[in-house]
Amino acid sequence: MPDESKALDFDRTFLPHMDAAYNLARWLVRDDHDAQDVVQEAYLRAFRFAAGFRGGDARAWILAIVRNTAFTWLKRNRGSNAPTEFDEKIHGGSTEDSGLEADAVRKADGAMIRAALDELADEFREVIVMRDIEGLSYKEIADAADLPIGTVMSRLARARAKLARSLQTRIDQDRIDKEPK
Amino acid sequence: MNCDDARILMHGHLDGELDLAADLELQRHLDECPRCTREYAALRAMRTRLRDDEFRFEAPAALKEKIRRALPAPTPARSNGYPSRRGSWIPRVARFAVPLAVGAMLALIIAPRTIGPSVDQQLAGEVVASHVRSLMATHLMDVASTDQHTVKPWFNGKLDFSPPVTDFVKDGFPLVGGRLDYIDGRPVAALVYQHGKHVINVFMWPAAGAETSAVRVETEHGYNVEQLMTAGMNCWVVSDLNQQELEKFADLIGGKG
Repeated sequence: MPDESKALDFDRTFLPHMDAAYNLARWLVRDDHDAQDVVQEAYLRAFRFAAGFRGGDARAWILAIVRNTAFTWLKRNRGSNAPTEFDEKIHGGSTEDSGLEADAVRKADGAMIRAALDELADEFREVIVMRDIEGLSYKEIADAADLPIGTVMSRLARARAKLARSLQTRIDQDRIDKEPK
Repeated sequence: MNCDDARILMHGHLDGELDLAADLELQRHLDECPRCTREYAALRAMRTRLRDDEFRFEAPAALKEKIRRALPAPTPARSNGYPSRRGSWIPRVARFAVPLAVGAMLALIIAPRTIGPSVDQQLAGEVVASHVRSLMATHLMDVASTDQHTVKPWFNGKLDFSPPVTDFVKDGFPLVGGRLDYIDGRPVAALVYQHGKHVINVFMWPAAGAETSAVRVETEHGYNVEQLMTAGMNCWVVSDLNQQELEKFADLIGGKG
């Protein structure tokens, strides 16, 4: 395969995923400017590693690099722990009811949902972003987030349960704040 | 099925990721458990909300443009009939090979492109990455000057060697500046030249071995890379300039122009 077509392939294969890359980076580092730095660095790394890409899911591949870049960045700049130190047992959610009603979700303020998602631990937030916002399949999430495919569903279950509880707390608080004194 | 199991499986159900048997079992549980049904309805509403564009950040146009610009312009495959010195030794079948786990792919960074000892391949990868970074990160130059008598002294005290700096403006390759860079685990001099709209980075550091002047050419991701030795310096020249012109430039650097 001539190298010229390799350059072409890189453009065609990875450039269409810049929005997905930015979206994930933005949700992980939670800052416009920092997310841009992360995406730029990730594309540079992807470009370097492109020889290791053997076809398959380009979006999951670039998101894996974005994710690693973002976590490295977070560790370096904000001293947060890498996701490898994540412990399912400690972070394990319960199966308690969130008490959240579908109707309340539909009426909830977007800013409230955003805040609830922002507040989740990185490892929970990333699977929700990948699945619900970005629309990745479990297989793609397993590749991108470096999870065994068998744990994607349980991670998502815990993440969404936490999000539901957090959102319910905010809805309750909002109701109290709005009550006439 | 109990509620504990259902509280996990309902996510697979929501996402359409359960097999038929588990799906039916979950559905049966929902039919008879109002608590789980209520929780499921809330989760589904949450998922529907999150799919809305208001929660998706779109990459700024300026960022996309910056990344696009930093990548080498796609060139028609050897329209000038100039043969590549690197054969197409990567088997075509490799492109269709079963995808490896991402971790494994990252471990293969350069390996698949390597023939024999890979130190030079690795260096070529490093200089290309530095070249791309210099274009991308608006950090092309630490010292912007077309005057070799300004650029050369600028390196004094910043490096433990003094790189030869020559302006080749009369040959069509004006010097535009220099910067410090980091290659092969050491600080190196990077000289920046221009030819038309093409930027050329020349990385220099003292050669460890015997001095030779053989020019070697490689192509990395559409960039042309030339390596040569001159005046005791190990020089790597990188650009998206075509191979013929870059060779002409490398000859100038090597003192043969």
